[in-house]
Amino acid sequence: MRLIYTFLIFFSFLFFNLFAKDISTKEAEIFKNIRCLICQGQSIADSNSEFSQTLKLVVKDQIKEGKSKEEIYDFLIEKYGEWIVYKPTFSKNFILWLLPYIFLLLGGIVLFLLIKKRENTKTN
Amino acid sequence: MLSNTGNTLIFINIILTLSIIYFSFQFLNKEKRNFGVKKFVELSLYQTTLSLIIFFTLILGFVFSDFSIENVYRNSHTLKPLFYKITGTWGNHEGSLLLWINVLVFFSYLFLLFNKKSNHIFLIYTLLIQNFLILGFLLFLFVNSNPFSLVVPKPLEGLGLNPILQDPALAIHPPLLYVGFVGSSIYFSAAVASLISGLTGSEFAKKIKLWVLISWCFQTLGITLGSIWAYYELGWGGFWFWDPVENSSLMPWFVMTALLHSVMVLEKRNMLYSWVIILCLMTFTLSVTGTFLVRSGILNSVHTFANDPSRGLYILVFLSVMIFFAITIFIKKNKKDHYIFSGYSKETFILANNWFMAFFLFTILVGTVYPIFTEVLTQTKVSVGPPFYNITIIPIVIPFLLLMAIAPNISWIKDRTNNLKKISFLIILSILINSIIFHFFKSMSLISNLIIISSLFLIFYTLSDFFSSYKKKIYLVPSRIVSHLGFGLLIFFIGLNHNFSIEKDFNIKVGEKKSVENFLINFESLNLIEKENYKAIVGTFRVDNKKNLNSNTLSPEIRIYSQPETLTYEASIRTRLSHDLYLTMSNINRTELYNIKFQKKPFMMMIWLSAILISIGGFLRIFKK
Repeated sequence: MRLIYTFLIFFSFLFFNLFAKDISTKEAEIFKNIRCLICQGQSIADSNSEFSQTLKLVVKDQIKEGKSKEEIYDFLIEKYGEWIVYKPTFSKNFILWLLPYIFLLLGGIVLFLLIKKRENTKTN
Repeated sequence: MLSNTGNTLIFINIILTLSIIYFSFQFLNKEKRNFGVKKFVELSLYQTTLSLIIFFTLILGFVFSDFSIENVYRNSHTLKPLFYKITGTWGNHEGSLLLWINVLVFFSYLFLLFNKKSNHIFLIYTLLIQNFLILGFLLFLFVNSNPFSLVVPKPLEGLGLNPILQDPALAIHPPLLYVGFVGSSIYFSAAVASLISGLTGSEFAKKIKLWVLISWCFQTLGITLGSIWAYYELGWGGFWFWDPVENSSLMPWFVMTALLHSVMVLEKRNMLYSWVIILCLMTFTLSVTGTFLVRSGILNSVHTFANDPSRGLYILVFLSVMIFFAITIFIKKNKKDHYIFSGYSKETFILANNWFMAFFLFTILVGTVYPIFTEVLTQTKVSVGPPFYNITIIPIVIPFLLLMAIAPNISWIKDRTNNLKKISFLIILSILINSIIFHFFKSMSLISNLIIISSLFLIFYTLSDFFSSYKKKIYLVPSRIVSHLGFGLLIFFIGLNHNFSIEKDFNIKVGEKKSVENFLINFESLNLIEKENYKAIVGTFRVDNKKNLNSNTLSPEIRIYSQPETLTYEASIRTRLSHDLYLTMSNINRTELYNIKFQKKPFMMMIWLSAILISIGGFLRIFKK
């Protein structure tokens, strides 16, 4: 039982994690989240293509202008579509973000019921 | 010549497989049974030998550069070093499918050999189902992906192998991974056979235990090797990228790991029978699904060297038939099992392990297929990349690690020991060490702190288990200790690596210097070299550590391969036990500037070693038998 409570507490603060708006503007972190559109599954941080070089400069400029991480992503999404960011936006893809946790919760409930049932059969 | 030989042999093999299926049916029909299991052992031996000969025929084609074979023409070149001519055999779709079939056949034969004396009905059913799988893949090979197709007229020269595949790690990565992936087929077959022949749970567990273990060990090693290859060859500079292909190798691994633990429960306590069956069926299904996703080109990934929609269709049909058949039998034949255990027992903890494994699997599955759905349903292309997996999975790893530490000591049925003291002591110790790390380096996020604390807890707990049992001279399973320790170390080093990496991206000219944290990078010179199968621009960089006055020379390359004409960027890596220095360069068009990516990655070596340690644990158990 105690174990299950501990896990429940864990989930509750996981959700804060999801909604928290990150205001840090670490260059490398942003690069890693942007897909190099002309490569096979690489971020612009990992790619050496010309496209990546150009986008890196664009991002650097925007950071200099004082734009936040989210603003830069929004700008790029508007220009290139959702495909460009590796971290899908929460508002449009909330199903994706919530499904794993719903599954985890359901699994937990099943497990809990199973254990409870086993304990009952024992007392019978 | 070789082409005809190969085709004939494949054809004979199909006939042989059909005859095994025919004899299996005869054997299972009591009235017609007039021969023993020995006959099947013989037939399977022929089948194995034949499959190996087919494989060697193709290898010969590659060694002697027989370009009349289309596959050789497309993937080889006379100027390629012999080693890569040979490894090129399985560096393409057709060849790797042949390897796949070899593993299927080999496992079929070994299983038969090891279980000759056990329940014959179960054994022959297993063989029958395994041979249906073999037949399916042989037909696929023969009809759709024939490695021996002819090209007329015979070309004088081959097109060459993709340079990024010309690598020793990649030469052994697919065979290892296949032993894991495809090895899982034997317990798929055994599971269906067990349902049909009505084997009891613990009997079934004893039969498949070894095979689950073998496939798990190889899968673990295969994934690690693939990851090492991606690290230095693709120039990604990390250990895991959540690439769809990596994900599809990881998904069966999670099921295998869950299975590995549940089989223990089934063997010792004769419960969870249906669940173990489901896991057995899922492992191979996921392996084939992974192959389907990769080979069909549905997913955008670095492995897209091997895609073609028509292959996808065949695998999809095959997969559907397989799943449909397995589920039907499962629903018809599944029996309920009775058992008793308390909430605080090993059974509960192993179920919890399965719960976590299911979560990891589900999350990765959702992340991998989600883009397919959005594209079909809403016509928007979405990327689900590393940030998604990191955010969803990493927090859950924390309770998982704690559980992993405590669980192995809990007794079966009901545990009465009280080890709260030990737990609290080790937690406090872990927190203390974490604060020291925290103090001496820069700040980390809450999650990072928790990850490091919980991984330390797992490490200490496992070690203390080892010492206390050593003192009491109790028989102890070293494999569990080694694997759990390996996992703890893996997460610990990943945590440190993640938090203390230095990464800088900048543009620089020859002769210039650039300061990055406590490193000074001198771009000393630029040279042009010519090798057998490529030309390269080699940069020479001297990296001085300002703190301890160490200095390293790194020489990244931009290679232009001639066959086929490809541009690749070779990272230059200096590996130490404590950290790697990593540098790649690329030219910026129409300028003298070079774009440099410099990274200091702590404990890369330790991450690989920890991952290898996990599989060593499994191997220890195999060899103890």
